[in-house]
Amino acid sequence: MRLKIVEKRQVAKDTYVLKVENPALFDILPGQFFMIRINDFNYPLLRRPLSVAGFSNTIDFIFKVVGEGTKILSLKKEGEFIDFLGSFGNGFTINSSKRLVLIGGGIGVAPLLYLKDTIENGYKLKCESYFGFNTKSEVFTSSGNVSTMDGSLGFKGTAVEMIQGDLDKNSLIYACGPLPMLKKLALLCFEYGCEMQVSLEARMACGIGVCLGCVVPTVNGDFKRVCVEGPVFDYEEIQWQEM
Amino acid sequence: MAGNVNLTVKLCNLIFKNPVLTASGTFGYGVEFSKYVNLNKLGGFIVKGLSLYEKKGNKPPRIVETPCGMLNAIGLQNIGVERFIDEKLPKLQGLNTHIIANIYGTEVEEFVKMAEILDKDPLISALEINVSCPNVSAGGALFGKDPDMVYVLTVSIKKVTKKPVIVKLTPNVEDIAFIAQAAQSAGADAVSLINTITGMVVDVKSRKPFLANKTGGLSGPAIYPIGVRMVYEVYEKVKIPIIGVGGIYNANIALQYIMAGASLIEIGTANFIDPTISIQIIKGIEEFMNEEDVDSISKLVGVVHN
Repeated sequence: MRLKIVEKRQVAKDTYVLKVENPALFDILPGQFFMIRINDFNYPLLRRPLSVAGFSNTIDFIFKVVGEGTKILSLKKEGEFIDFLGSFGNGFTINSSKRLVLIGGGIGVAPLLYLKDTIENGYKLKCESYFGFNTKSEVFTSSGNVSTMDGSLGFKGTAVEMIQGDLDKNSLIYACGPLPMLKKLALLCFEYGCEMQVSLEARMACGIGVCLGCVVPTVNGDFKRVCVEGPVFDYEEIQWQEM
Repeated sequence: MAGNVNLTVKLCNLIFKNPVLTASGTFGYGVEFSKYVNLNKLGGFIVKGLSLYEKKGNKPPRIVETPCGMLNAIGLQNIGVERFIDEKLPKLQGLNTHIIANIYGTEVEEFVKMAEILDKDPLISALEINVSCPNVSAGGALFGKDPDMVYVLTVSIKKVTKKPVIVKLTPNVEDIAFIAQAAQSAGADAVSLINTITGMVVDVKSRKPFLANKTGGLSGPAIYPIGVRMVYEVYEKVKIPIIGVGGIYNANIALQYIMAGASLIEIGTANFIDPTISIQIIKGIEEFMNEEDVDSISKLVGVVHN
């Protein structure tokens, strides 16, 4: 489906927001993603998975330029059309009986913004959010509690350090971010006995479950596809040592 | 004048309504695509490579993008032939297209056992023998690089099945036509080529190969001229039908393969980028034939050699 870019602007260092018209054909759960075709020709060849950062009269994405594909995407202009496939993946599930804690690192904060919006404005529930970045210039949200590694904005340290002493058995963590952060959280969850739904990132070719390129190791000794069985997993499903 | 052209292809006792198949490993078990494609419009589809027992596949990372291509080392992750028959095939009942099973084994006996099992299933039209997977440590391309092994394997499988046997060849050999001849003399009903080309991508930050398997198979638009050249070479040397595969992403390239000698073609990696591509390619071939006043696809097969 070809959707028109209604807004594209830089929101932080190497970080862009991309809003496309919402054809109002479907609902999208927080945590779900689209496969985006960068160009109509064969370079770059593969679509890029981008999770939804906002869903209203536009579908919003926030992405960081990390390679050629995202570089080209960052040069797209408002009014241009981009080819989308989706939405894909399972998405986060919301449990009203828990203390909801959103923990994001870097560009991993993007899907949590849509989750936060859904929890607060859709479900009318409360949640706490802790978003960590390297430095002030990379911060793209004013939502929630912000930390930076160098202390240039908000708490000095990681998002995990901001909250780790304050987790309890009743906490349900929603996490997305770099792997070391997620591994650290998995240890903490194990220690405190809290639950965690973690959204994982992987290179994928198809997004529809057939290329088997995006798998992650599970505790059962087999693999699960990030695109179909994920991208959101119960942290206890994942074999973290193998990640 | 659309619709007046004859796209049908005959292979042994099978009639394909058009020459477009989808390649193993890029089309799941078919069901995954039913949302995007009317499967009945395809000439047929080839399901994900099956082994006798479930295979978990290689550790990730398994894929990496390359210019106009991708490298994969999935390692034949699949649910095994029995579960395929029990769980997947029932969902494919009643389709009016050909379902081809792609089979892989580490030794001849495994291939034979699978051929015996699948021979009994009326939903399977033909068997594609994978002697060309570059991403597994045993069997796979080790078989496909050795003409004697291809011969022995093909003879053994032909003994236990009445279904057409297609031998899928690896491009990672000096003379692919020589291997195709071995398959032909062993009684293969067709050969399909090419499987992926072995490659490597290095991650300069970690100073290690990017893929956990170190090497992977290159596929995608980047490889199509190699596939076309190899189909051309094989057509010169064998009489059995050729199925062309490798980098096809539009009707033009599909037609190049056909003109080089392919009776049927398979769409692979392009399914990942556009799940409806196979249908578009069928339409494109039909349009070309109308424009060029070609009434039957068979008249285009191998015309490059004239």
